[in-house]
Amino acid sequence: MNVFAHEIRSGARSLATWSLSLAGFASLYMLLYGAIRNDIQVFEDVLKQLPPAAQAALGVVFGTLDTVTGFYSFVFAYIVLCGAIQAVNLGVAAIGRETGGKTADFLLSKPVGRTSILAQKALAILVQLVLTNAVYLAVTIPVALSQQSDADLGQFALLSATLFFVQVVFAALGLLFGTVVEKVKSVVAVSLPAVFGFFVVGMLGAIIGEDKIRYVTPFKWFDAAYILKNGTYETGFAILAACVAVVAVAASFLAFARKDIHAQ
Amino acid sequence: MNVIEIRNLTKSYGKARGIIDVSFDVAEGEIFGFIGPNGAGKSTTIRTLLNLIHATSGSATVFGKDCRTHAPEIAREVGYLPSEVSYYDRMKVLDLLKYSASFYGKDCTKRIHELAAYMDLDLKRRIDDLSFGNKKKVGILQGLIHEPKLIILDEPTSGLDPLMQQRFFELLRQENAKGATILLSSHVLDEVQRLCGRVAIIKEGRIIRIESMSDLARDHYKKVGVEVGPEADAAFAALEGVTNLERKDGVVSFYYKGDINAVVAHLAGLRIRNLWVEEPTLEEIFLHYYQKEG
Repeated sequence: MNVFAHEIRSGARSLATWSLSLAGFASLYMLLYGAIRNDIQVFEDVLKQLPPAAQAALGVVFGTLDTVTGFYSFVFAYIVLCGAIQAVNLGVAAIGRETGGKTADFLLSKPVGRTSILAQKALAILVQLVLTNAVYLAVTIPVALSQQSDADLGQFALLSATLFFVQVVFAALGLLFGTVVEKVKSVVAVSLPAVFGFFVVGMLGAIIGEDKIRYVTPFKWFDAAYILKNGTYETGFAILAACVAVVAVAASFLAFARKDIHAQ
Repeated sequence: MNVIEIRNLTKSYGKARGIIDVSFDVAEGEIFGFIGPNGAGKSTTIRTLLNLIHATSGSATVFGKDCRTHAPEIAREVGYLPSEVSYYDRMKVLDLLKYSASFYGKDCTKRIHELAAYMDLDLKRRIDDLSFGNKKKVGILQGLIHEPKLIILDEPTSGLDPLMQQRFFELLRQENAKGATILLSSHVLDEVQRLCGRVAIIKEGRIIRIESMSDLARDHYKKVGVEVGPEADAAFAALEGVTNLERKDGVVSFYYKGDINAVVAHLAGLRIRNLWVEEPTLEEIFLHYYQKEG
């Protein structure tokens, strides 16, 4: 487990930054709720005057904005966007940073099999995502309660947990990408365009009202409006998320076992 | 017993040249040189042995085990110094070496400190603060701290200053005396000459010759340059073993193969202004010596 330990240690600082930033971002936003709670009707009226396309793009769920969870769901899409960047970074870096930074020669000439290396790295990513979400919930739940003492915590947790699921999907896709490509020169140069690309596709889909586009982008697999209304996830999309993650990870193992590590 | 056995190893890349039908053995306790110009296929062969890349056809065994299917097991007894060294930038040297040691399940702390002192490497520095030469030293240490039975070095001395090269070679001789087998690739003939007992010469992906260093040296051409008047040229041309005679800027130069005393005797009768006798570079050997086999 020395590779796992190494990954956790070298990712510690980044993990702290990401988890605290995500939690801080969500908390700050929820504090706004306290400030405008009494004028929420005005806020909603302003949003209602926006063209329907803009409302769809923003993902406004009318009728829920008067609870802290509903208000929070409004910004949650952007939390997930940031979380996805963190996840893709982790996924792409796992193998991509070894080949791109030329440390692969070191690691792969050690007495450890490639399957073991990838398994330890994948586990390290999973643990880091779990920790991110644990910190996130530990910070945001008390903040939500401070804003609305009778907040529906079940709903809040159900919605917030989708951060983790979307992160797992993105991390798995990142892992596969970082393994398959010859070498990754810069992790961020991969993760930012990819994540924003998926995000914009989802937003465009909402604007033009094309429901099929939802299948293309993991950002739309856990719909906040649906979760708030029904108190559960959409089974089909949840299964899709699980399948994509499993297939991407399995494909990464196959690709890594066959990968040629070239000099330079 | 052979530590390495390579049989008809071929690696084809799309456009770039790989290696074609490479076969050679390295016996236990040997220091084996693997020489050829840059891009000839030395690294490709070595990287296949280490399972970093996978051969298109042919086979290679290390310690009698298939290098592909038993890679982690083989790696336990192998120390590898890549030609281009690169480590985790944000780590301290000591932490990196401890990480390296952790793969072998041995306590290497004492040896880390001994070797660091010997190679004059500061263990407290961060990797990204190190010069290229110091990174190379980190590479040497991570390859040797677990006392491997087989040491594989790919262009080991680039970036090391002459003093460190000397210390490093001394270290390799000590490891060899303790029983380690060494495979060393290089395009610098001189360093191979200083260490190796036997060499394989690779050119354009194919092994063109495998011979003992002493045989290679006997067949060796020397490069001779004499600053002397043009009246001496005819006599040089008449000497047996002289080839590629040419005159440029008042200097007559030629390749000479044979008893050097014949040249010295001839020079004794001349009034010369300057004299050079040089080892040809490996590139020159390839150009002039192996041309017909190419």
